Amino acid sequence: MFTQERTQTRKTRQMLASGARFTYDDEPYPTRLNFYRDPPALEISIEEFEQFALDRMQVLTALQTAQMRNLPPDQMDKAVGDAIRNQELRQWFLRAECALFRYRFEKESLKEQLEFLEKQNLTWKKVSDDDKRLLKDKLKASSPFKAQNVDDETFFEVDFERVCGLVGKRQVYIHAGKAFVPLADQVVLVLDEFRERLAQALEVTGRALPRMDEDNRLMPVLNNINKQYLGREFTTSAVAGEIQAQDVDALKIHMPLCMEHLHDELRREKHTKHGGRMQYGLFLKGIGLSLEQALIFWQTAFANKSPDEFNKQYAYNVRHSYGMEGKRTDYTPYSCKSIIMGSAPGVGDHHGCPFRHFSAPNLRAKLAAHQVDEFDTEDILGLVGAKHYQIACTRYYEVTRARMIGGSPDTLRGGSGSALASGQGAGSEFRVASQEQIEHPNQFFEQSYKLMQQHKSTAAGGAGANGDQDMEAAPLDPTVKGRYTYRKVGGPSSIVNHDMEM
Amino acid sequence: MDIDTNNKTSDDELDHMFDMDDSNVFRADNPWARAPVESLGASASDLAADSPLLLKLFYQHFFPMKPYFQWLNYDISPTPSRTFMNREFCFTLHDETYIRFQSYKTMDEFRQELARLCPAKIDLGAIYNIRPKDKSMVRPAAFIPVSKELVFDIDMTDYDEIRTCCSGGDVCTKCWEFMTVAMKIIDVALRDDFGFKHLLWVYSGRRGIHCWIGDERARKLNNEQRKAIVSYLEVIKGGTQQGRKVKLPNTLHPSLSRSYDIIGQHFPSIVFDSQDVLTEPDNWEKVLAIIPDDGVQASLRSEWEKSPTRDPSKKWEDLKDAIGSAIAAAPKKRQALEHVPRDIMFQYTYPRLDEKVSTNINHLLKSPFCVHPKTGRVCVPIPIETCEEFDPKSPPTIPMLAKELDEYDAKHPPSENEPKLQAWQKTSLRGHVEVFERFVKGILRDVAEKKKMESSKSLDF
Ligand code: SF4
Ligand SMILES: [Zn+2]
Repeated sequence: MFTQERTQTRKTRQMLASGARFTYDDEPYPTRLNFYRDPPALEISIEEFEQFALDRMQVLTALQTAQMRNLPPDQMDKAVGDAIRNQELRQWFLRAECALFRYRFEKESLKEQLEFLEKQNLTWKKVSDDDKRLLKDKLKASSPFKAQNVDDETFFEVDFERVCGLVGKRQVYIHAGKAFVPLADQVVLVLDEFRERLAQALEVTGRALPRMDEDNRLMPVLNNINKQYLGREFTTSAVAGEIQAQDVDALKIHMPLCMEHLHDELRREKHTKHGGRMQYGLFLKGIGLSLEQALIFWQTAFANKSPDEFNKQYAYNVRHSYGMEGKRTDYTPYSCKSIIMGSAPGVGDHHGCPFRHFSAPNLRAKLAAHQVDEFDTEDILGLVGAKHYQIACTRYYEVTRARMIGGSPDTLRGGSGSALASGQGAGSEFRVASQEQIEHPNQFFEQSYKLMQQHKSTAAGGAGANGDQDMEAAPLDPTVKGRYTYRKVGGPSSIVNHDMEM
Repeated sequence: MDIDTNNKTSDDELDHMFDMDDSNVFRADNPWARAPVESLGASASDLAADSPLLLKLFYQHFFPMKPYFQWLNYDISPTPSRTFMNREFCFTLHDETYIRFQSYKTMDEFRQELARLCPAKIDLGAIYNIRPKDKSMVRPAAFIPVSKELVFDIDMTDYDEIRTCCSGGDVCTKCWEFMTVAMKIIDVALRDDFGFKHLLWVYSGRRGIHCWIGDERARKLNNEQRKAIVSYLEVIKGGTQQGRKVKLPNTLHPSLSRSYDIIGQHFPSIVFDSQDVLTEPDNWEKVLAIIPDDGVQASLRSEWEKSPTRDPSKKWEDLKDAIGSAIAAAPKKRQALEHVPRDIMFQYTYPRLDEKVSTNINHLLKSPFCVHPKTGRVCVPIPIETCEEFDPKSPPTIPMLAKELDEYDAKHPPSENEPKLQAWQKTSLRGHVEVFERFVKGILRDVAEKKKMESSKSLDF
């Protein structure tokens, strides 16, 4: 790539590389463990780049989701790192690369690990034997699984900032700003070093390729990678058409438990905290509530606030979430993953996923309120116990929707011969509804809504030819990976920044 | 101000920084000095706590501008530093609109703006790479927060599910004990574990407390590091729908062992005495719901229903006994039950932090020495050494300060040879400002120390 700039670029790179306290290696990538001390010096074509990038992303994504299985060949190491110019993508890339590095590092034998560390000149201050004896109990209590035998274990003393992960999990002893990290956790230190160097290397290469943002051949490629791998997005698809503020209550029956709960609590408390406002507000946006209607909805919902108070304290946030204020990010509704993995509800919060964040008795009560029978309840709680929250939600969908249209859950699993499957469109639609795991609250809503419409029209006796056609425009497009992606209407893809600052 | 180049900054000199001649500050028309409070109208106490007029007088005469500026300036030199100039101020006005991203080049500019706007509330935000006022001149991505104090916000509303003496905005000395425990636990953890030295605890004016950590190292933390500290300190997890909110490992981390000792000192008084946790069936049901064993729950329930007035401390013993015998009868229950009493103690006394405030570098937090619009009380610092004695009803209101000032002036007619005092020095605000000054002085001492080291280093070359 960048053939016209080839020599120029290479020079710049080497200059920057040495200026940024990276030493040049004669043997750039001697082991599989690569510390990115230097940006790769090879040139590639745009097509190669896209291929490399996609492959690399696939490795990293697979790694993230498939919990580190076997690694595919890693010929691509060298190519991608130097191409990440986009800030957010760079962050993501950094995280993913660290995960990959960690995986590889831990797979190496101890001997290779030590060799590698020696080569990198990584030295940390060792805790003296005297100190170790003095701190013995505390060190032991801090990492009960890893450092049982404090006397034999080597501990390093580093600034606590360097081992955030251990600090956050309370898995390391800290005193006066120093963390005492056992050898067993050294991978954390190595990783920290790795992250820092990679970040700097990215920075340097980023600057070495100053015109990449504008390179119109590359941007579409990057955007594409970005879209494919940063997760599915969901934007207004409005199966139910443009929704009015006063319709929301009636639509509650199609909502997944998380949203229904937020709705009920909003009605009960006439207020919702920030996390709930974001989760529910964006969901409503996703089902077709316009900004204008959203303002009406929230203002009526916050019945205890005067219109004046509402305008001052909340209207801004509502407009903000519709991309009309501040950074003008057009926020998209949260997916199940982000709700489940996102910030857990704190005291007084109602956001989150009931399958993930409710205690068993409370979840039981919720299910009972929806007439889920004992058998299915146990089934669902079992799934929750095994941490399969979305599958539990899918199961809940099947059980409750089946009752809604008066069938059995199996009908929804695409069972043949059912009265419901007799309509052509209906048959295929039901299959979509069933095989797919719930990935998104808005998907739950849409499936449920359409199911109901279909049911109504089949029940009305084949008179729904027109309706069927509308419904066949499925909102879900399978991608190459067989996953669903949600069409984004208008605007460039943006990586959502949930932080609203106030 | 003559501390500067000579690098020897003794305590004395730092002391002087606080009694710099303030004549230029008060040379401006001083209605306060001439007019007794009564001449303002009926009397100052009749004015609403957040009346702009009252606030104007407060900002002009009682607000401890000097140490406040020195704090935010983080420098021993009185010349405004980038830390001051690039700091975001946010004002909430009387009609509840707020103006974000304000910034000032000098202390005087800031003072004039305070007098002009008389904000009902001042919030402090982060220090950015450029002046927040110039924000609109650059691309959004080029406006970056670079540092800020590490802050904590603990609010009584988060205790509402376990608090029975008051609710909503009210507090009393009974429930204030929650805040006392919170201060003790968080303070020692931040000092001993993280090595921070400059902590300022501040009464939020109504029902909570804030903590500002001014160490340079704390100000430089990124969001990820802030998050790590918060989750290190956090123990209470889960929303309203979750009964059991604390589940700690068998072996407590040393930091939590220390907290557990502090909790032990307060648990009986909070749970047995002030909050009726074990005297009312509705409340004790919540405790029982935490125990993951139906048998234990049922036996305790029937026992307590038979004698509901049994002494709460005895009921607590019942609970521990019941769990003990359940384990004795079925040893495999040990893992699930053994530490339940300990976790209940944490759930009912351990601090509940507002995580967002701490983990986001650009989050706003109300400044010390604001006046709370609802209670009218000044948000004064709370000295940690005597935090147990703090009474949330004790901080002064503006009318109180006005009265004290009048009384002082009546008793001390102005005389030539008396040193000229600032208004706050004549009132009960004095003690509170002195706590603040100690905090600022500690920070400045570090700054001086660092400058000295740097200059001696450069001399080596
Ligand atoms: S799985 Fe998704 S849709 Fe279902 S309740 Fe949880 S967050 Fe909502
Ligand atoms: Zn109270």
